[in-house]
Amino acid sequence: MSFTRFLVRRTFMVIPLLLGVVFITFMLIRVGGLDPVGQLAGPTATQAEFDMIREDLGLDKPLWQQFLIYTGNVLQGDLGESWLSNRPVLDDMLERAVISLELLFWGVGIGALVGIPVGLRAAFRPNGRFDQVTRVLSLLGFSIPTYWLGLVMIFVFFYLLGWAPPAIGRISLMIFPPETITGSYLIDGLLTAEWEAAWSAATHLILPVVCLAIVSAAPIIKQTRAIALEVLSSETVRYARACGLPKRMVRKLVFRNSAVPVLTFVGTEVTGLVGTMSLIEYVFAWGGLGQYGLNAIVRGDFTAVQGYVLALALFSVLVFLVVDIVVHLIEPRSELT
Amino acid sequence: MKLPISKYLLSGVAALAMSTAISTASFAETLIVASPNVPEGFDGDALKAHTQNVVTQVYENLFAYAKTEVDGRTVLDPNNVVPHLAESYTMSEDGKTWVFKLREGVMSPYGNELTADDVEWSWAKSFDQKRTGNFIARVSNVTGVKAISEYEVEFTLSAPSAILLNALTLYVPGIYDTTEVKKHATEDDPWALEWMQSNTAGFGAYHLAGLRADDQALFVANENYFGEQPYYDRVIYKEIPSEASRVTLLKTGEVQWIDRPSIQKVVDMQADPDVKVERATSRSVAAARMNPKCDLFSDVRVRQAFNYAVDKDALNDAVFAGQADKAGSIVSPIIAGSAQDYWVYDYDADKARALLAEAGYPDGIEESVEILYADAFWHQEPVAIQVADMLKKVGVNAQPTRVTTSEMRARAAPAVQDMCFFTWEDGPIVLDAVYSMYLMSHSSGVSNRAGYVNPDLDALIDAGREELDFEARLALMDDAQEIWAGDAPWVLAAYPATFEAMAPNVSGWVYYPDEHERWKELRGD
Repeated sequence: MSFTRFLVRRTFMVIPLLLGVVFITFMLIRVGGLDPVGQLAGPTATQAEFDMIREDLGLDKPLWQQFLIYTGNVLQGDLGESWLSNRPVLDDMLERAVISLELLFWGVGIGALVGIPVGLRAAFRPNGRFDQVTRVLSLLGFSIPTYWLGLVMIFVFFYLLGWAPPAIGRISLMIFPPETITGSYLIDGLLTAEWEAAWSAATHLILPVVCLAIVSAAPIIKQTRAIALEVLSSETVRYARACGLPKRMVRKLVFRNSAVPVLTFVGTEVTGLVGTMSLIEYVFAWGGLGQYGLNAIVRGDFTAVQGYVLALALFSVLVFLVVDIVVHLIEPRSELT
Repeated sequence: MKLPISKYLLSGVAALAMSTAISTASFAETLIVASPNVPEGFDGDALKAHTQNVVTQVYENLFAYAKTEVDGRTVLDPNNVVPHLAESYTMSEDGKTWVFKLREGVMSPYGNELTADDVEWSWAKSFDQKRTGNFIARVSNVTGVKAISEYEVEFTLSAPSAILLNALTLYVPGIYDTTEVKKHATEDDPWALEWMQSNTAGFGAYHLAGLRADDQALFVANENYFGEQPYYDRVIYKEIPSEASRVTLLKTGEVQWIDRPSIQKVVDMQADPDVKVERATSRSVAAARMNPKCDLFSDVRVRQAFNYAVDKDALNDAVFAGQADKAGSIVSPIIAGSAQDYWVYDYDADKARALLAEAGYPDGIEESVEILYADAFWHQEPVAIQVADMLKKVGVNAQPTRVTTSEMRARAAPAVQDMCFFTWEDGPIVLDAVYSMYLMSHSSGVSNRAGYVNPDLDALIDAGREELDFEARLALMDDAQEIWAGDAPWVLAAYPATFEAMAPNVSGWVYYPDEHERWKELRGD
């Protein structure tokens, strides 16, 4: 299949998926008893005012009609207005997306950079000392609740040792953020030569990034090890060994044959970590999309919740698309399906 | 533990020094407030928690409570209201027309002078929005506000009001600099509500200088403020969602103030020399409310039995770490006229069982009785659990059940009120017995959230609203509290004390009935 056909086909496949997400989210919120009218009307509203707001929001219409209206609006890029911020949900989310992506990029990037080599090394000497230590550490990484890990890191590295900056968001309160170019304080600080801002942004990234890297590295280590072990026991590798190829070349072969499944797994991991990100953003007052979504859920901002879930679904689809493309570039023989 | 603010502050100083907009001198007088959320907007009529925290700093009103010293501590004197943005007033003989003379030379940060037109427009906005300000107008019988000269404004009342001056101490209806606000009004948005989402225009000590969504709001002192310039010329209202993080930041001196800490954190911080915790008896009441419109609670004996079944002292210890005040009336003891003696429901399990038997439940209540709770207040869940546990001991199969705060708010709205039994907290923002009773127990009270109606009580409260004689009003409210106690529509849990946690060098905190500190009164020297 040609690349263009692949993209077109994938795009068409995405549409029913996103419609399904819109439908499920919409219905879950509607049947979940979350009534925005009470929130919007305020405590002094009369029944007439309740009815008026209900009518304004279209909530007096049958559910199927509400769904069609909402879907129509979504297709036009209108995700509704957040009652908390009184702004379009789409604008709110676009502002915060870069903030979360920056954290995700560094966290998962470091997690993968550490996790893949460690997993491979553990697989080359299964049950060796390194493997045993790695397995315990990765089990710990799996088991530690993210929220707790974040708080402990703040307590140890900020409160006790004073090595890390306080968990007050992306930049020191005493420093003006740099002019917005990309939305990342670190990159914008560097691009505009605002060194203080860039330095502050970099230091504030450390704890949440390490926290996310730990959470993401644990499954990557475990999965990479399992994949590499499988590749090591494959006929290709056994044949290579039988042919007397040097260890370096065998390892290269293992690495290459493991690349596709490991990359696919990292892609899955990225989409799974988006939920974890909410908690990390919450603890570190990060102000990204995850914190926005969590806040919307907790405070009953139903339009924002719908938009957030849709954004997550779209993000997952994009990640899988990118993974497929990258896999195809690494392994041109693989089918673009 | 005190750690140096270290290089981050120093780098901040350097950055600020480079800024032409801000001097390093002002940097030293920055108050950093850590809060779970940034303000959701700046329209005081919108009843949103963090909006209210900050509009109190921006919008001031015609009157203010006088202050007095009690046990060496400054407190508000609820019975002494003094002119603030107003200078004086006159009242017609029938008490239905009040004319307020405004203080001249009161300037907004935009350089516009306060006029009677500003007051008229601001009240018209509240009337039209039909929200908090409208309720304040209704409860104080105000039907119209009109500018009659540049500095004179006339209030028309449907009946005399004993609480009008108290109501005029509130931040809502706020008084806006309408010269500025009107520039941003449109045909579709005549009150410039969209502009108010990220801007302020008041005559108070502070105004909004910058807002970053989900991050922080920056307030700076109004250089034209008519009163004394505040110590802190800059306040950063920073969103820190995690309470654990907020406390850590306070302990390390990174922030100077945190919003409404939970009781567990209060106990922790009270033992920490790097944090100062201030306490005041609250004007609000934590309770489990029973809806008399539900079958079970339509019988007063059941409601009384539930009250006898709950050991309030044990509840205070278990939930409030013993730091709350025992509740004996819907009216807090900090309000003149609070009658604590009518609440006779001391813990008595035998009496509870006997009353249940009289009401037709000789073997207790086997059918599940849901006690709903949310997380609008930290104590809702533990109160629900403790109350349910105590009710089980008298044979009531009470089950704590969690719902979302949004659901609870929606279901408690006057037009709905379909919850039978739930935990909540409410309190008056006007320190007045009539206002308290009207708010929480009158059939039109917006905080009467569980469908309780007693026409006799309504009549007493309505009479109190029009009675101008102080002693006569208190007598009416004494009777009203007796009736309410007899009806026992709430299981009174406690007056949860108000705690504020701040850096040790911060002083000047005074308890306000709206439970929001005033930054202009704080000092950091």
